[in-house]
Amino acid sequence: MRIQDLAQLSTRMFKTNPLRTWLTILGMGVGTGAVVILVGLGFGLQQIILEQIVFGETLLSLGVSSTGAQGLRLTPETVTDFEENPAVLDAAPLARFPALVTYKGLTGNVFVQGVEPPYLRYAGVTTLAGEVFTDEDAGDTTSIILSPATLKLFGIPDEEMEAFIGEKVSIRLLVPAEDGTDNVNEIIIDKEYVVRGVNKEAGVLNAMMMLPELRNYVGIEEYERIQVRVDTNENLPIIENMLIEEGYRVTALSKTVEQASKIFQGIQAVLATFGGIALIVSAIGMFNTMTVTLLERTKEIGIMRTIGASPNDVKYLFVSESIVVGFLGGITGILMGVILGGAVNLFLNILAGQFGGQAVKLFAFPLDFLTFIAVFSAGVGYLTGIFPARRASTLNPLDAIRYE
Amino acid sequence: MAKPLIVARDLSIIYNQGKSNEFKALSDVNTDIFEGEYIILFGPSGCGKSTLMYSIQGSLPPGEGTLLVKGDDVYSYPPAERVYFQRHVMGIIFQQFNLIMSLSVLDNVALPQIFCNGDKQKRERRAQSLLDRFGVGHVSHKLPAMLSGGQQQRVSVSRSMVNDPKILLADEPTGNLDSVSTQQVMDKIDEINTFDRRTIIMVSHNAAHLSYAHRVYYLKDGYVLREVVNPQRKQIKPVREGETIVTELEQLARLYPYDSVETWRVKSMVNYLTQDYTFNQINRIERAISLFLQGKVDRHAMVKALVLPYERGGAEVKEKEARRMASVSARMVDHSTDIKRFRARKDNDNIFFTQHKLAERMSDHLSHEYRIKLSKDQRENMTEMIADRVTGVATDVEMNIRLMRGIRTGGLGLSESEADNITRHFEKIIAQGVDVSYKKE
Repeated sequence: MRIQDLAQLSTRMFKTNPLRTWLTILGMGVGTGAVVILVGLGFGLQQIILEQIVFGETLLSLGVSSTGAQGLRLTPETVTDFEENPAVLDAAPLARFPALVTYKGLTGNVFVQGVEPPYLRYAGVTTLAGEVFTDEDAGDTTSIILSPATLKLFGIPDEEMEAFIGEKVSIRLLVPAEDGTDNVNEIIIDKEYVVRGVNKEAGVLNAMMMLPELRNYVGIEEYERIQVRVDTNENLPIIENMLIEEGYRVTALSKTVEQASKIFQGIQAVLATFGGIALIVSAIGMFNTMTVTLLERTKEIGIMRTIGASPNDVKYLFVSESIVVGFLGGITGILMGVILGGAVNLFLNILAGQFGGQAVKLFAFPLDFLTFIAVFSAGVGYLTGIFPARRASTLNPLDAIRYE
Repeated sequence: MAKPLIVARDLSIIYNQGKSNEFKALSDVNTDIFEGEYIILFGPSGCGKSTLMYSIQGSLPPGEGTLLVKGDDVYSYPPAERVYFQRHVMGIIFQQFNLIMSLSVLDNVALPQIFCNGDKQKRERRAQSLLDRFGVGHVSHKLPAMLSGGQQQRVSVSRSMVNDPKILLADEPTGNLDSVSTQQVMDKIDEINTFDRRTIIMVSHNAAHLSYAHRVYYLKDGYVLREVVNPQRKQIKPVREGETIVTELEQLARLYPYDSVETWRVKSMVNYLTQDYTFNQINRIERAISLFLQGKVDRHAMVKALVLPYERGGAEVKEKEARRMASVSARMVDHSTDIKRFRARKDNDNIFFTQHKLAERMSDHLSHEYRIKLSKDQRENMTEMIADRVTGVATDVEMNIRLMRGIRTGGLGLSESEADNITRHFEKIIAQGVDVSYKKE
């Protein structure tokens, strides 16, 4: 039998028995819809967490800092050393100096961090308000990013964070004296910096500016931290181990992400199990329908067999019919799940907007997951159809044709 | 000698073998069916005729014996090959039409081609041309449920022919059809046999169809009782000299298909003893009289048909005898109208003729026919007797007795033979004149 004929013959049930066919599809749809929405919730939760910490480059970079123990220091030479490694694409340093920051007469202690834009990318620095330095801002000499705690220092409530962007602050650097004493030289930077953003580093008092701007006022001999961007995922652990062996302290976000992912895989599995139960129930319903259909069609099978259909033709007819129903059930389920999830997302967004919270997507439906569901539901259709189909194909045509 | 297309040797088919409800549907069947033959399997229901047909079709494996189609044992094939064989060798039509209701007429006819991967355009063209040929081309895009039974059966004939099979199997194809549709379908099947030269194997219990076949197998209780050759068709099966001869029994088999061979022998003998005419002549005389009674031919045409030699379609009756037959039947028909009038005046008497007048006329006719002089009393008695008989008050036996009774006791005082003759004659007239069709109250 040709595919197009098979398709024509196995979609007759939409004409002959539309109500039952659509109800069966709906049954399958509710089952797969449950799977879609629950697994979608898992994906959504995972994404909420990972969106906060994961950027493409962040996962592929290592944070290197000195343990101080073996006299290892992070110097400009260290940076070039790192960069010489073929597996390392780039190394971006961070220099840190204690400083005093003044806003409208209020002064507080902070750490000024001098960075280059790549560092922000590698470390995954993002802002609550305003914006971070991008590659175009490499030569910036006028702006600064503050941590939320710094704003608290100035008595700025969270609600006014947005309004604070564009305010001006002045800075005095506290640089240790080079004579070996504990004395501190105060370097007054004779200008005001515009606040361009507020980062997410809660609990610390810091202010970020561009490293070249910082260099204008102090000589930098030693870095606090270097972000090493590794070229590929495979090389990540190799470089990590190498650096650890050399005596550095290394932190990798990818580890954290991995652990988070594992947890969410667990959550997803639990959610999928619940959805799976719903799916099994609807699959049993569909199996039942297919069996009844078989009984109803017994005579027709007999006719077909006596006018030249082979047992396999009959089998294909039944299997393809149940695959069609299963697949359409899957599509219906996907539609139901996605629409429901989207509606909840929209509702949460509206709610968040009204209460001033941050909008989150509680449900997420990656395309490959949906594709998998569509294929999987066709597979379920196949499984529910194969048994009645086998029985249909082994019916004696003569008994079948006399069946009323 | 040509090889038979289908050979059954000691074929037995047993349902539910080994179980308590084991049932032998067919026992020791031996048949040879040749290419191009029209075979009817005839018998009452449950005789195994369908079983034999479906066994040939390939759906019922023989329990014992062998069945060869085109020299091959179909049942030794693996299922896939058996299907291939069935597709290209057998076409089938059923009593219930068995069209697939959810497919259009055209798709139904094309369906066997769909199963063997026929090209869509080609198969639809073929299906359409078959539908056109069998007179249902104009409904090809309707669903089968919208067609009459006769149309559905012709669609199913088209379907059976779409793979151009060698053998057409038909399982009581006219069992669900009215007489007009039956005739159409039978003609089409006959055309497939005579024009397309396909072998036909038909299961039937309608004796009227037997004349289509070359040969008829009579089955009863799972046995083939006899094989009857139709002398009207040129036989395809080679007849070995002396093995089978065409006898009067074949003719009787067609006339009285439900009787046994013994009954036919009796009928043959009785016919010889009591009648001067052969069964063939009687057949022709019946046809002539039937046409006359229906008013389709007049007396002269009837005489002509009776006198004509047998070879030219006549009954070969001597002319004098033919004239007598014609005049007697004409008179009887004539007088039977009086019976009709009489009975029609049951409720509204005396318009033109009163019932009494009509009875008097019949009485005069009878006495004239048998040249009996009646006195006034006798005539009155006779008139009364006739009125009683025609209204149904008296039976034929009572009338016969009254004819012999004395005049004073209401009779005619005739002799026994006179009374018998008059009774018999009058009963014939009544038979012609009485209306026995079903009337609504």
